[in-house]
Amino acid sequence: MTDAEKMSIRGKYAFAGVGLTRLGKIPEMTPDELAARAITLALEDAGMRPDDVDGYIYQGGIGGGLSDTIPLQMVGIPASMVWQAASLGSYANVMVAMAIGAMESGLCNTCVLVHAARATSRRGGQMGPMGTGGNTPGAYGWYGPGATAACMAQRFRHLYGLTREQLGSISLTLREYANKRPEAIMHDRAITMDDYLSARMVVEPLCLYDFCLVNDGAVALIITSAERARNLKKRPVYVMGYGIDHSLREMGKSPEAIHHFDGFVAEKAAEQAFGMAGITVKDIDVAEFYDAFTVFLLSQLESYGFCGKGEAGAFVEAGNLKLGGELPANTSGTSLSWGYLMGFTQLTEGIRQMRGEGGECQVKDAEICLVTGLGGMVDNGSAATCCILRR
Amino acid sequence: MPEFQKQLPAINESNKPFWEAARRHELVVYGCGCGALYSQVTECTACGNPDMKWIKVSGRGQVFTFCVYRQAFHPAWKDDIPYNVAYVKLDEGPLLISNIVGCANEDVYIGMPVEVIFDDVTDEVTLPKFRPVKL
Repeated sequence: MTDAEKMSIRGKYAFAGVGLTRLGKIPEMTPDELAARAITLALEDAGMRPDDVDGYIYQGGIGGGLSDTIPLQMVGIPASMVWQAASLGSYANVMVAMAIGAMESGLCNTCVLVHAARATSRRGGQMGPMGTGGNTPGAYGWYGPGATAACMAQRFRHLYGLTREQLGSISLTLREYANKRPEAIMHDRAITMDDYLSARMVVEPLCLYDFCLVNDGAVALIITSAERARNLKKRPVYVMGYGIDHSLREMGKSPEAIHHFDGFVAEKAAEQAFGMAGITVKDIDVAEFYDAFTVFLLSQLESYGFCGKGEAGAFVEAGNLKLGGELPANTSGTSLSWGYLMGFTQLTEGIRQMRGEGGECQVKDAEICLVTGLGGMVDNGSAATCCILRR
Repeated sequence: MPEFQKQLPAINESNKPFWEAARRHELVVYGCGCGALYSQVTECTACGNPDMKWIKVSGRGQVFTFCVYRQAFHPAWKDDIPYNVAYVKLDEGPLLISNIVGCANEDVYIGMPVEVIFDDVTDEVTLPKFRPVKL
């Protein structure tokens, strides 16, 4: 695709509807029911009817496998395009790219992106042995993505002197945001640095507050042409650009480079998205980073160019992610304190910020938002994805 | 010997030579004639050569990174808490996932010189693990 073609997509599509269920423990609803509820709410929000939607891209979250078109049948959406997306944190932004690609090529006109999670009913954390060589993690007791995050944090401690207080300042900043957001799971639960430092260790050097939440819930986002979105109920939120990167591309450099314990490989995603949007990193008013673990947020500050290598710890500790800071970020409390819906946690909040619906956490006059996602494993190659939204 | 409760390596056609070597108490990596070495089966990403072979290595290396489990994510590991999992960078280059044994978790650090030992966990399977090198 030429630069001119890429630029021609800039601002051509927009989010028109957001539907979010309650977050938390919702044992009485199946993933399909949660998804259907979210879709209904998104249609109401946009002021659209079910037959206004002809594209559907869905992602089962943790424990939230969807029965393909059942949620659409429940709502009465006669879609002609149905796609399932991989269950990874990188895919919310990929689904934006899929939807725009589909609309651009005439496969559909209006697309609903759906994520549903039923994580509380699933016994989490287990991952079996994998690998095609000597690397067989399960045999050595390596389970769950927390270990890769912990090993990344250990490297940052070693290389850059990352402190527990710096990681803790991420947890606290996000918790403060969540305390101001009524729908956040941790809305009523404040934490202090003492709480962080004395919290139960899960996989050292990471403790309970370095890990994201485990919850049920669903979200549906409606995306359509900018022209159409302008005639709907809510202020359109334009997609200015998106980008995708993967550490796999490093394998030619050195056999072990795909592991990237020293930081996420996201430079190409940033370059593509910023280029498509016609902006630089300095133009970002608010960012919503994928935050399954505190250290993931920290590493992306460097990978996307907001900080130099090794500087992110001091950057967050200085309060730069708070309202009034240099880069207000993760303004709902996101995965660490609001709720985990894979990359949809960030995408949903990004859209709300661009609509001015951030409530007490609204970044004043914010016009441009970066939303990121991550998927895969630090120790086996991972994807970094992003999109840029504009009000 | 009581039945081994933990997960065993998923041994397949590709990685069988690694586990057969471990059974003989030898550590092997996957290597190319051009000198590039890998921890797992691959084509040579340095020169594109598909004709690779398993090569015996010294078994010495350094801790590249590690973490310490304070919570069991699998019931079979409950009695091992706290235990460490580490990535060891072999002197020859490749990274291997393993456990550091023969010292306290508190004494493990990045850059720690280690050497392989072989833990015969069942009659068929041996896991290469690493212990500190006495300097």
